[in-house]
Formats: sequence, C-alpha cells, structure tokens
Amino acid sequence: MGNQKLFKGSLQTIILKLLAQNDKMYGYEITQKVKELTKGELKITEGALYPALHKLEADGLLDVEVAKVGNRLRKYYKLTEHGTKETANKLEEMQEFLKTMQHLVNPKFSLE
Amino acid sequence: MKLTESHIQRLYKFTREHFVYHYDVQTELVDHLANDIEQIWVAQPHLKFEKARDISFKKFGVFGFMDVVEKKQKAMNKHYRKILWRFTKEWFTMPKIITTGLIFMLFFIVLQLKHSFLILGTSFFILAGYDVFLFVKEKIKNKRKEKKQSEKKWLLKEMIGESRRGFSVISFINIFNIINILDLDFYTLPLFVIAILAFAATFTCIIYHVSWAVLPSKAEELLIEKYPEYSLV
Repeated sequence: MGNQKLFKGSLQTIILKLLAQNDKMYGYEITQKVKELTKGELKITEGALYPALHKLEADGLLDVEVAKVGNRLRKYYKLTEHGTKETANKLEEMQEFLKTMQHLVNPKFSLE
Repeated sequence: MKLTESHIQRLYKFTREHFVYHYDVQTELVDHLANDIEQIWVAQPHLKFEKARDISFKKFGVFGFMDVVEKKQKAMNKHYRKILWRFTKEWFTMPKIITTGLIFMLFFIVLQLKHSFLILGTSFFILAGYDVFLFVKEKIKNKRKEKKQSEKKWLLKEMIGESRRGFSVISFINIFNIINILDLDFYTLPLFVIAILAFAATFTCIIYHVSWAVLPSKAEELLIEKYPEYSLV
C-alpha cells in the first residue's frame, strides 16, 4: 500500500481519536477498527502500533487497565484527562494540516 | 476456535524466544497474537497453531518484536525518570528541605576548607566502595533467588533495581574524575561558585539517596501503580 507513509505521521492522532470515541480499547481492537473504518485502505502495522501506544502512555496521555479475558490478560488503553485535551489539539492540528495540503495540492486561483 | 491455556503458555515461550524477556511486554504481545490467531482460524479453521502463529508474527515486520521492546524500554526510562523526579522534589519541600539545607551547608563549608579535595575525594571513595560492596552482595542474593524460583521479570522492577547502581557508582567516579582533572583549589573560588558546587553536590546526594534507598523500598507500591496486572498474577 503506497499511501502508508502518508498515514505514518498521523498514527498518534488516529489512536487518540479512536479512544475518544470508544472509552477503552486494546491493541488488536485498534488495528481492526482502523481496518474496518477505512475499509482496509489503512492497516496499522503491529510494529508501529505498540510503540505509539507506549509513547502515549509514557507521555501521560493514556491510562492502562488490565482485565482477565478468558485464559489471558488483556491490556486496555483509555484517555487520561490530559489525553482528552491533547486529542482536541491534535485534531485541530490535523485539520489545519489538511487545509494546508488542500491549498498546496489543489490551489484555487483567483483574480484579485 | 479459541486458544487453550496450553496455546497461551506456548505463546509466552515464543515471545521469550524472540527476545522479549519481561512479563509486562510479553502479556500484551501474547494477547495480540492470540486475537490474531483466532481471527486467522475463522478464515482457515484447519490451519495448524504454529502456522497461524507464524503468519501473525510476520505482521510485526522484519525486526519482529524488537521495535516494540526498544520503544517500551524508552517509554519506561521516561517513566522511571518521572518517578525519580517525583521523589526528589520532596526534598525541596517542607519538612525535608531542612535536611537538604543542612547537606548544602555542609558542602558549602567543606568546600571552603584548604583540604576540601582530600576530604571529599576520600568520602566519595569510601561511598563508592560501599556501593560496590552492596551491589555485589545483592547480585549474589538475586542469583540464589533466581535459582530457587523462576520469577516473572518486570521491566520497571529491573530498572528500580539496577539503574540506581549504575547511577551511583558511575556518578561518584565521574565526580571524582572531574575534581581531579580540574585540579583546582576550591577554597580559592568565589563564594557564589562554591555555592553552585555545593548545590550540585547536594542534588547528586539526593538523587543517589532516592534511587538507591527510597525507590527500592517503595518498589512494590510503584509496581502496583504502574502495572494493574501485577496483583493479578
């Protein structure tokens, strides 16, 4: 998939946005949700997801909960208060970025 | 089809074989692999467990779990520094600031003495020697303990146990080297420079004390705070 590189820089924002909508999620669930929402267009690789989650956790944006599910332990991530605020900031940044890219890729010329 | 308890244990073994030694990191990867294997089995129910596991593992890329482990280590280092700072800060608030002030004054006075280098150098050497002695003693104790039981390894637990040693011995030797290289008589320095040096020495002592004594004594508490699963296993 050629456009994976474009998504790479947005991984943290994607994770934060999903957690803002879903209260708490575990790693595998995040990969599947992204696949489902983008109809397979974007696949978060396992090697990128966990480092991103651990970084967000270390930065205090995510909190962790562990539950025993069947015969194994499952680690759930959820937004902290700081994480919720940061999600709003990151989404705003993303909107700005998209707008700028739109101007660059598809400039509208006007006679002024 | 769901994975059995034996499959889960095999997945733990698999992560160990792929250089993931800490239980906290293993647990998350085992759950991920297990979910993916179960998903693969939905489409290919007759696929062998090992085959499904390998398909799932390949999704982690050519470096396997290494990226995950490396980044986890980095994140945990950050967490350790945060804890260290949390407990160090206490020494600059009441009532501990009184002790901090006394240590500062002690350094401030000693540094103004003619033989301050000798006094500080000897003190550092004695402390470094004592530190090495404790380090060796603990290593021997841990070796014996490891032989008795194969304990689960936790990344933060190891950091609390090992970083303090690295910090203390290295920092003492470094301080002594710096003093030696500079080859200056402290008592000839302006008072504000002596004050800065005294503050640096006080700060080093506090960090040493926190990493060496405070954190290990609160290890269980800190582990439960960091790992919700710590009390589950």
